[in-house]
Amino acid sequence: MSFFTRKMSRRTIMQALIALPALSLFRKLPAADPDAIVEINGWILKRSDLA
Amino acid sequence: MIFDSYEAFRAVNFTAKVCILGSGPTGTTIARKLGAAGIPVVVLEAGSREFSDDSQDFYRGVTVGDPYFDLDITRLRFMGGSSNHWAGWCRVLDSQDFEPKAWAPDTGWPISRADIEPYLSEVHDILELPDFRPDVPISDDIRWVQLIKSPAVRFGEKFADELDKSRNVAVVLNTYATELAGDGRRVTSAKLWSNGQDAGSFTADYFIACTGGLENSRLLLWSNQRSNGGVVPKATALGRYWMEHPTFEGGNAILADYSAFEVDATNEAFFSPTLAAMERLEIMNFGIRLIETPYPGVKRIIADLACTAPEMAEWVSYQLSQDLRCAAQLYVAWEQAPLASNQVQLSKADVDHAGVPRIELHWKKSELERRTLLEGLRLFGTTLVQKDLGRVRIADWLTNGGDYPTNEELAGHHHMGGTRMGTDVTKSVVDANSKVHGMDNLYVGGSSVFCTSGECNPTTTIVALACRLGDHLSKVIGV
Repeated sequence: MSFFTRKMSRRTIMQALIALPALSLFRKLPAADPDAIVEINGWILKRSDLA
Repeated sequence: MIFDSYEAFRAVNFTAKVCILGSGPTGTTIARKLGAAGIPVVVLEAGSREFSDDSQDFYRGVTVGDPYFDLDITRLRFMGGSSNHWAGWCRVLDSQDFEPKAWAPDTGWPISRADIEPYLSEVHDILELPDFRPDVPISDDIRWVQLIKSPAVRFGEKFADELDKSRNVAVVLNTYATELAGDGRRVTSAKLWSNGQDAGSFTADYFIACTGGLENSRLLLWSNQRSNGGVVPKATALGRYWMEHPTFEGGNAILADYSAFEVDATNEAFFSPTLAAMERLEIMNFGIRLIETPYPGVKRIIADLACTAPEMAEWVSYQLSQDLRCAAQLYVAWEQAPLASNQVQLSKADVDHAGVPRIELHWKKSELERRTLLEGLRLFGTTLVQKDLGRVRIADWLTNGGDYPTNEELAGHHHMGGTRMGTDVTKSVVDANSKVHGMDNLYVGGSSVFCTSGECNPTTTIVALACRLGDHLSKVIGV
């Protein structure tokens, strides 16, 4: 068993694993191009029209 | 001179060098040109001066494939031909329409736009047109094009007096050729039918079939069958590559400034793709016609937009409060890919009163055309967005892959192909001068010689080609 896991309880490790997906919320996503053309429900729009 | 029967014509001993079959825009134009050059011409017109049900009955036929108009409704059989119900929209085929398209088989003409340009000022006089303004590029993909609404010249009315006074042109009404007889080199005679009965045979040095975009094929198919191939010796393409301009409402547009595109009192504006866009998307030519949407229709469009882009809908509502004209219906007419399977055939089951088989028209729209319609609307919508000119909504039946609606315009009543122009005798019927391949004295005029249809109404190009053929024959025949 590694040093890291020996120092942490099983409960702590499980909590950390469960929390991992939520971290992606803080990831910086590339900004969508507001001028990009999108087709929704037959409408041909600029992405910024959807704001 | 105008005669009401072949009997009356025969009584005056007028010897015609050229026999023109049909008095529509093509027949009348060629007759006037030849008459002005001093060449004696007889024009055989199947109908009289006025519409009659009896005459129209000769045009009955059936269509196999996609829904189409009744064949006795979509054309007219009296003096002046189908110019009698023409709407008057004018534009000449573009240069690009004459060029072969690598992505669409059997496209390309043996002549170019430059070959008809010398005749356009004459066409403007005939059709009473002002000059066309140049196309306006809206983007790299879309052009704002101009269609001019002429006074819808009725050729029978406009030129009746002139033809009546002419010493070189004789118009014989209620008379037509049920068939041409030929020996594989020349047409030797025409079998006539006048005022409801057999009128014997007629001979002339030259014959020009100008009976319309459906009837030219019928006449030549029947004549060829009766003469064992002696009228159209190279007949593989005869009747084939028939085309129309299918026309459907493809969606709506909201415009930032409707008046930016006004061209005339009809409040209609027309848009077409650039050649580069057609090449990139591998689609055919098309024309999008903007027709102003009535107020209740605009409210429906805004309600629909509110579900997708609420703030945009709010902006449109504001526009509507400022100017009631801010939305348009988008009607799309497009160029059909020329297909040999779209063709005029002779009915095996039904004949007219003169014993000539009626038309069986085989006509179907292709997948390439469906793609042209959808991608064309996307192209137009994208241009409006990029240029901040407006927004487009494509109709549900198109985006969902549904069937073509059956309650719309269907097509333009534009009958093209069947005796197309070309150099390959297996894919064409006439040469670049409209002379039937292998024949010395048989020519064909009208939109049946079109190789491709472009997107615009055909009459202007038809009259230009008629001027060109009249000019050519004047030189060939001399006086």
